[in-house]
Amino acid sequence: MPKQRVMVIGGGLAGLAATMKLAELGIDVDLISLTPVKRSHSVCAQGGINSVNARTRQLGDSEDLHLDDTVYGGDFLQHQPPVKEMVYWAPKIIDLMDRLGVTFNRTSEGHLDNRRFGGTLFKRTAFAGATTGQQLLYALDEQVRRWEAEGRVKKFESWNYLGPIIDDAGICRGVVAQDLISMEIRTYPADAVIIATGGCGLLYGRSTMSLVCNGGAVSRTFQAGAKYANAEFIQVHPTAIPGADKLRLMSESARGEGGRVWVPRTPHDERSPREIPESERYYFLEERYPEYGNLVPRDIATREIFNVCVHEGLSVDADRQCVYLDLTHIPREELDRKLGGILSIYEKFQGVDPRDEPMKIFPAVHYSMGGLWVDYERTADGGLNIGSPVNQATNIPRLYAIGECDYQYHGANRLGANSLLSCIFSGLMVAPGIETLLESSDDGTAADQPSSLFEGARRQRQQNFDALLKRPGGGENPYLLHQQLGEVMTRTATVVRFNKDLEQAYATVCDLEQRAAKCSLSDTGNWTNQNVVFTAALIDMFPLAKTLLKGALQRDECRGAHYKPDFAMPGLEATDPAERRRQAEAWCDKFEERNAKWLKSTVAVLDEDGEPQLAYEEVDTSLVPPRPRLYGLVGAEAIEEVWKERVAVN
Amino acid sequence: MLFDYFGGQCPPYAMSDQHPEIDSFEVRVLRQDAPGERSRWERHRVTYERDMNVISALQKIAAQAETVDGQPVAPVCWDSNCLEEVCGACTMLINGRTRQACTALIDRLMEDCPGEIELRPMSKFPVIRDLVVDRTRLFRALTKVKAWVPVDGYLDRGQGPLRSMEEQQQSYPLSECMSCGCCLEACPQYTKIESTQDESESDEDFSARKSATYDSAFVGAHAISQAVLFNTNPIGKFIAGERLDALTGPGGIQMCGNAQNCVAVCPKEIPLTTSIARAGRSTTLHVLKKWFDR
Amino acid sequence: MTDTGPQGSFLVRHDFLIRRLHSLSGLVPVGAYMVVHLLVNSSILASTTIFQDNVDRIHSVGPVALQVIEWVFIFIPILFHAVFGVVIIAGGVPNTGEYRYGSNIRYTLQRATGIIAFFFIAWHLWHMHHYFAPLGGGNFQHQHASSSAAIALSSLPVKIGYAVGVLACCFHLANGLWTMGITWGVWTSPRAQKHATTVCAVFGIGLACLGLSAMSGFGDVDIKAAEEMERLRIQEKKYIEGKEERPTNSRRGVDRDSGG
Repeated sequence: MPKQRVMVIGGGLAGLAATMKLAELGIDVDLISLTPVKRSHSVCAQGGINSVNARTRQLGDSEDLHLDDTVYGGDFLQHQPPVKEMVYWAPKIIDLMDRLGVTFNRTSEGHLDNRRFGGTLFKRTAFAGATTGQQLLYALDEQVRRWEAEGRVKKFESWNYLGPIIDDAGICRGVVAQDLISMEIRTYPADAVIIATGGCGLLYGRSTMSLVCNGGAVSRTFQAGAKYANAEFIQVHPTAIPGADKLRLMSESARGEGGRVWVPRTPHDERSPREIPESERYYFLEERYPEYGNLVPRDIATREIFNVCVHEGLSVDADRQCVYLDLTHIPREELDRKLGGILSIYEKFQGVDPRDEPMKIFPAVHYSMGGLWVDYERTADGGLNIGSPVNQATNIPRLYAIGECDYQYHGANRLGANSLLSCIFSGLMVAPGIETLLESSDDGTAADQPSSLFEGARRQRQQNFDALLKRPGGGENPYLLHQQLGEVMTRTATVVRFNKDLEQAYATVCDLEQRAAKCSLSDTGNWTNQNVVFTAALIDMFPLAKTLLKGALQRDECRGAHYKPDFAMPGLEATDPAERRRQAEAWCDKFEERNAKWLKSTVAVLDEDGEPQLAYEEVDTSLVPPRPRLYGLVGAEAIEEVWKERVAVN
Repeated sequence: MLFDYFGGQCPPYAMSDQHPEIDSFEVRVLRQDAPGERSRWERHRVTYERDMNVISALQKIAAQAETVDGQPVAPVCWDSNCLEEVCGACTMLINGRTRQACTALIDRLMEDCPGEIELRPMSKFPVIRDLVVDRTRLFRALTKVKAWVPVDGYLDRGQGPLRSMEEQQQSYPLSECMSCGCCLEACPQYTKIESTQDESESDEDFSARKSATYDSAFVGAHAISQAVLFNTNPIGKFIAGERLDALTGPGGIQMCGNAQNCVAVCPKEIPLTTSIARAGRSTTLHVLKKWFDR
Repeated sequence: MTDTGPQGSFLVRHDFLIRRLHSLSGLVPVGAYMVVHLLVNSSILASTTIFQDNVDRIHSVGPVALQVIEWVFIFIPILFHAVFGVVIIAGGVPNTGEYRYGSNIRYTLQRATGIIAFFFIAWHLWHMHHYFAPLGGGNFQHQHASSSAAIALSSLPVKIGYAVGVLACCFHLANGLWTMGITWGVWTSPRAQKHATTVCAVFGIGLACLGLSAMSGFGDVDIKAAEEMERLRIQEKKYIEGKEERPTNSRRGVDRDSGG
């Protein structure tokens, strides 16, 4: 009887973590990746990875505070048990990565050094220079290579996942995939399939994401019947470097190490930044958010930078939007040791040394909080039942999702340095559950399924592919359509959103989708055809783009990264204490009303016509009761006072 | 204007910028349809825009799919991913020099050679198509030198060993190696190996034969440096002997000819020749020790 | 490239050891011999007699022992170094055209000078060693060290040939010393390698000066006087051995320094 096998799609942090953990459990793993796994997008993560540590603990920190920061930063939109489990695992994950050889920065005594990240007041973040994601990915890549050498893991690099194979009972039995070199289409029987394919930044044309982050694998899984949740929550990172091909991330760690964001008080001041005296500099984040300063959560920093440029007209340059991110007050040696990686990126692409000159940065699309809907099994104390095959399972039996492409951990806004944690955690945690699943399987292995199931799936994908190759000439240009998609998504569904724009955008995207169906290929060959792969990926972007826009359109509130000025809850205006009190009461009423309606996950399925249908699911907020998110709000104290009274009464 | 920044076309060319005289430039690409096919030069004209790099030029070429003479052609194929020089995918020969296409800024290239850019695939790896090459051998070398920490397992075992700041600062640069292959491309001792699959040979047999061939050929500077990285790791060094065995076996460190191009072309400025010298010392001692221990 | 697994041929399996031996043989004995050889040769600058003394001292071990020494410490190591050097050269593809870095240029020069040295030493051996006297070479006669060497080196083409050959050998040794320090892990850090570059450069230039000055020394030899000195010494030696009369100074009566 053939042995059971697990298929992992995607070789980033999550996919590799799952692969090595499964291999350790004695399970054979196949790993499909678009690129050699060492080149996965996780390498772009820069700043660090969060966990409570010995030092923060003595300053009053605890796992429960990490949980609190994460769900408060995420505006309470995430189920809390998985987050709780994650933050409790975090210190152990850091220890494991340390043992695996990650070159974390050290204190003079030889312990791991930590820096502070956004949305917290503790220095929780362990880091390896400014290339932490790269270092973590390499450590996992090395472990997987070790298992590969032992024959436990088989890697299929430069293979593209085309979709799951689902039998008549609706159970996932494997995947169809295509070799990107020979264009051969093959089936892989699998007793469990894990999707770990990251985000979908390419929906926006240019973002901080890598070119493989086209969302294709997730979209094809979605099209095969998996649910997709919280699509509208897209993180726009406050600080990125402009570029014609990509918006390159400038890590939050720059601010974590003391970087300051400012603009000249005089619009488009033509003096060089170092000649502008302190008194003429507007440190707008520090002034508006005295507690968190430059390290407010990302959604807030992004809106402030956007606002200062667009509405207040204080952009540094007249011909494009940007603000200064200033590190010049920090000693060079320290910068090199802690931030070398990102500073050299700036230097290489901008030709300016950020140790001497403040950097010019602007927000950019960065991360998808939403993703494939996945389940979990809660324990009585609010954690997860590790080993349950329900954890990280999608609604399709035997099909799992982990990492950025699941929706589970970050709610409406992700805190910096929590993504590396959630990727590794979900990867490690899914493995024991799958072990249980495989042990309890009594209907034979996937390879025992009738060959007609696999052949049928293969034939259908082959037909789709052949049809795409044989498109008549003279049709639409896929690259230009992608550019148009990116423009409309960026214009309407990033920092500030308006319903009329979103409606228009939805119509435009539907139109683009129809045009994409008429794309012509400039390469009709059957060898390493990047043209056809790109076109197929483009076509698969539309279901996600539509789900995202529809989710944003329907969600009439502001929550985390989803910001609609028409539904904003501004601060209090009154100065008279009684009036102020009354306003605060009204504010809290409105807040409760809003939560009653919108503190829900958006869960989408695609109907037969390819239209997303949305439903809303309750969120498990049993561990940290939702409370107003008051960073920098005028009248925050009054609101907080009222809110505390209400909580006490209940 | 704001949204131009985000997703759309780059803003129109600003008056104050570097190359007001250039409105387009030519890209000569050495193309090859498949392994074993003949290669040929093809010329493309690309409109100049601010902040361009070789990747954005290639993206335009793909969108145009037309040569300078107006001939419709299949888009040029190339490898790329992160576009910020940390993934190592987009290595190619740009104006004859091995480097990443993403950090090859058009403005800089125009300063060196106005109006024209030459792109070729890496010469030390088999061409798959156009600028895409097969770098399996590079990763195979990492397996050969056992570039990993042999931990017991992934369950919690408390914190790892303490390491000094100095040790971290020695190791960190080595662990920044992104397996891009520049050091191998520039190395006169690293020569191309191209195997072809026999008709009768299965995929598995072919890949096993390829691996065996790769294992007997020069491992290259990147793998030597990784061996040094793991031999200095407090846990990694438990199997230092196995790594030194690999480095003194066929295709090991002895193949190094000390041309030191590796360190000169490394985009991450990894001290590769220091690693090579350190490995030289430890392999010498290792072989002597083994010889006397017989 | 042929398919050879880890269990390939003897040469493949012992590649590391062979290459380390190759590296070592370049320094000891080949390099060391070359230094001694050039030092002895440059003693011609002091006087023909001192040079003859040095040559005699070398030959004092006797013809059989000398041949053993020659073969074991010079010919076989050089042959090994040369033949395996050719194998090494064949395994690389110099790319100085594309990558014009100092160390890369030295890499290519190391190979070029190796080839020059290979032919130069072969020619030099034919030209000077008595083995080849029957074939029209072997111009050097150890009892007539100064005069025979000076005559052999008197024509311009030969002078040019020797200058090129000696310079190639000096570069090859000095640069070989530098690469050896990396190969064996003596200088590891970039700083140490930079210092080593200076040391090796000074060594190489010094060695080249030594070699070239020895050549100029042979150019300045008064051949007639040297022959006379040599003749007297041969007679003197025979007299000491009791085979002939005490020699007399036939021409100038000069016996500046019999070294006696």
